[in-house]
Amino acid sequence: MALRMWASSTANALKISCASKAHLSPAFSLSRCFSTVLDGLKYAESHEWVKHEGAVATIGITDHAQDHLGEVVFVELPEAGGSVTKGKGFGAVESVKATSDINSPISGEVVEVNSKLTETPGLINSSPYEDGWMIKVKPSSPSELESLMGPKEYTKFCEEEDAAH
Amino acid sequence: MILAQNLCFRTIPTTCIIVKHQKEPHQVNPVTQTKTKLCECFDLHKELIPYGKAWSWQKQIVKEKKTLVQRNEDCPDTLIVLQHDPVYTMGTGSSEKYLNFDIKEAPFDVYRTERGGEVTYHGPGQLVMYPIINLRNHKMDLHWYLRALEEVVIRVLSSTFSIKASRTEGFTGVWVGCDLGNQKLAAIGVRVSKWITYHGLALNVNTDLTPFSWIVPCGLRDRQVGSIKGLLQESQLSTRCGEADTSNSDDCELIDISYRSLIKEFSEVFQLEICQKAIPMSELLTENN
Repeated sequence: MALRMWASSTANALKISCASKAHLSPAFSLSRCFSTVLDGLKYAESHEWVKHEGAVATIGITDHAQDHLGEVVFVELPEAGGSVTKGKGFGAVESVKATSDINSPISGEVVEVNSKLTETPGLINSSPYEDGWMIKVKPSSPSELESLMGPKEYTKFCEEEDAAH
Repeated sequence: MILAQNLCFRTIPTTCIIVKHQKEPHQVNPVTQTKTKLCECFDLHKELIPYGKAWSWQKQIVKEKKTLVQRNEDCPDTLIVLQHDPVYTMGTGSSEKYLNFDIKEAPFDVYRTERGGEVTYHGPGQLVMYPIINLRNHKMDLHWYLRALEEVVIRVLSSTFSIKASRTEGFTGVWVGCDLGNQKLAAIGVRVSKWITYHGLALNVNTDLTPFSWIVPCGLRDRQVGSIKGLLQESQLSTRCGEADTSNSDDCELIDISYRSLIKEFSEVFQLEICQKAIPMSELLTENN
């Protein structure tokens, strides 16, 4: 996601309503006052997440990203069979009359695309780490995952970004 | 900026129109205090540029800026102001249901682009601004950017034409409402790639609005589209201030005045010093969609 800190009243509203999220399900071991960071995932500075399971890596955008975007009204994704390159755009999300690139955290072959997002782009908002997944990729350079951030590092990155604005 | 005295529609007494614009509580104060940043401006405001050519040109500029950013070099901002030949454009998620015609038999060319927003019309008499700016030079916040673009237009309408315009929450764009009916004067739709913006805004100055009736502009069924000229004429008629019709030379002056005001307010809102640059004709001669 080609974005960093997006000030929005939505974020402020979520700040208040999500304060109670801290005590939820154990999977949310690291939570911030207004967005969630999951264990077991790797994160890019452009706010995409990667879940590497065996031969396939699933990619989406983080809770922090969707929170700041606001309501996603359209998602543009590549076709299965295409390729993605680390750091390069592979799709786009549209909200508030602005469409932004989504950048791939890793390189590889796209093996599956979440077709549900065509009809229900809001899944990115309601379930950024699960139903809102975007593409599944067969990584061509698994070592690229090493250079991504872990949950603690990403949480700190977001906090520093928020503080800077 | 005041309109020239010799334009017939400038005789509107100030009592007819409210001269204040609303300011969003949380937005659009410039980030930098001094205007130290330059913005190159390509002035084509009197020209009708084919959409495809302008689109290719923008993408070329975006590519150049991304390279500069990648190399950690200074990446100045660019502004293009022009008019288009009649054309419809659609955004990334645009639906054909908002076209009141079969796309295969469209009255004008239809371009599906990578900007946000639904279908809109561009044509003569409408000033289109394409700020291709590096949001790293400003605020890396898309909501701020959109509100800033709206602010530019709101200030133009207020300072130059004494037209009270405002935002409508949830509906990006610039609106004039209340006594004169709720009309959209400026449409906005942008794309951001690695924090470089392109596409932009379109302000109806003395546009023929008929082509808007052949679409559902911006996907909004119950809203009207307006123009500066239309509003000024309505205001004159309603107050019986003078003749409502304007000549061709008045139209040209209206475009010129609007252009100068847009540049001035853009410079203020974004805290940029505008430098006019020669048009690279080679960019406009090739079209690589």
